[in-house]
Amino acid sequence: MATPLSPTLSPEGRGRKPSLAIAVFFVAAAMAVLGGIGVVAFHQPIRSVLSLVVVMLSLSVLFLLLSAQFIFAVQIIVYAGAVMVLFLFVIALLGPARELGRGRLRFQTWLSALFVLVLLGLMWAMLQGVQYRQPDSGVSLSFFGTVQSIAVGLFTTYLYPFELTSILLLVAAIGAIYLSRKRIDDL
Amino acid sequence: MSNLNIGGSQLDASWFLLLGAILFVLGAAGVLVRRNPLVILISIELMLNAANLTLVTFSRQLMNIEGQLFALMSMTVAAAEAVVGLAILVDIFRTRDAEDIDDLSELKG
Repeated sequence: MATPLSPTLSPEGRGRKPSLAIAVFFVAAAMAVLGGIGVVAFHQPIRSVLSLVVVMLSLSVLFLLLSAQFIFAVQIIVYAGAVMVLFLFVIALLGPARELGRGRLRFQTWLSALFVLVLLGLMWAMLQGVQYRQPDSGVSLSFFGTVQSIAVGLFTTYLYPFELTSILLLVAAIGAIYLSRKRIDDL
Repeated sequence: MSNLNIGGSQLDASWFLLLGAILFVLGAAGVLVRRNPLVILISIELMLNAANLTLVTFSRQLMNIEGQLFALMSMTVAAAEAVVGLAILVDIFRTRDAEDIDDLSELKG
């Protein structure tokens, strides 16, 4: 009966399938990029939403790789679960709308392509110049990113911003109710 | 220094940052190119997610939990933004058929 509940790992998991994390990263990254292309390229909004769900799920895998377990769970539950379902509900409510025709702005596609290329070049230049600081010492990976460590930060140092987010959510809920109310003259 | 030891293998932090940049640019392209207001909101969500990935990457690289806390806050803001944006959109669609964002350029009821 002395079987340990969790397999005994060395703290860093060194030596166990060293390339697994890299493979997981590249699969998740490819799925994220494909999903992102799908968000932009699909003509039906419902397909864009489902592509965004793919992006969010693969990003949650990447969060897990970056030892952000709590963010991983929140990403799936809140983002892929709640926010995306909200989008799907609105699409179901409004009916399938296909994009057709061109806008009033001429050359919009070409101008957008130019802007996007400039933005990509800017991002690339920024990435070349990133100066990485020495990581903070004294934090162990077995504690980093757990619910406990998140809660310690959220309820001590950042208690005030945390309470302010609850007010933000309240304001958003009241605003949504106000916007979607039934007008008197509609009755 | 940008190497992250993940499960015994070395991943570079700049890979995650590059992926975040690509996703952000894709979202920006969606905002610029697409004409459906709903898809523009979806693209904004994509950009927010890309920013979150960058925050969590730097949090891991610095071994500092504050990046993850900030990502949590930005998720809250994204949820609030989605709720209010969709409510406005539904309200607009009630009075008129706005499949194209250009139809809404008059800024009057």
